[in-house]
Amino acid sequence: MSSAIADRDTALVDLVDRLLGGGVVIAGDITLSVADVDLVYVNLRALVSSVATAQEKQIMPRMGSAL
Amino acid sequence: MIQLLAITDDRSSPAPPLRAVPCGDLTAIYAPAVEDSAGADALWRHEELVESLMETRDLLPVRFGTLLADEEAIAQAVGERGGQLAGRLELVRGAVELALRVADREPATTIRSGAATGTEYMQLQASRVRSGRLIHDELAALGRDSATLPGPELLRAAYLVERSGVDAFVARVRKLQEANPELVLICTGPWPPYSFAEGERA
Repeated sequence: MSSAIADRDTALVDLVDRLLGGGVVIAGDITLSVADVDLVYVNLRALVSSVATAQEKQIMPRMGSAL
Repeated sequence: MIQLLAITDDRSSPAPPLRAVPCGDLTAIYAPAVEDSAGADALWRHEELVESLMETRDLLPVRFGTLLADEEAIAQAVGERGGQLAGRLELVRGAVELALRVADREPATTIRSGAATGTEYMQLQASRVRSGRLIHDELAALGRDSATLPGPELLRAAYLVERSGVDAFVARVRKLQEANPELVLICTGPWPPYSFAEGERA
């Protein structure tokens, strides 16, 4: 696994929090169904264990980010 | 259907394939192509588009999967909330969001077996929770706003930080990591201000 992918895996939890739980909610829109969101979380669950390993790097830069 | 990405008051045209729709004093930016998946790749594609917009504009990111019929529908939906969204945009102007998660370095089972008694374990746990809270307080003081998010860690939080203050924030996270070797601090970003785009998380 390349480090860029490892960084993305680590940041994926934060990504999901933000894109699916944050942001402006526009009235009358069509948004993801609960089932779709659950599916993303199921996929994420498999990543949780690999994140524990990646945490050794402590501070994770994201691709192309300023960190 | 088209996918709404962000709301800004910047009038410049976004790079294709993104397009802009005027909504009173605000401008809504959308992607004509709709993601038909909510997998990780689709989320990252969405994020990259919003980040590219964020490089040159202050904006409010829109929740993933916000699909509308056409430009007219966007103008109407955004127009209805124009005043409130303009107010929110002022609150995030010039700032970005940084994410932090704080967790135990050792799994709970290891911590439990290392404690001589149940009481000692409870004290260890209480002290970790306290450390998480102290870390949050210290970092929140560096930002314009902060929010704690639900999660299994000791702390999962978002900080609204001036663009010029990101380096200082990261330096403080590193210091806090050094001061708390029993914890793991994971800081990611800068993100568009997703956690500060609505008054309360919906």
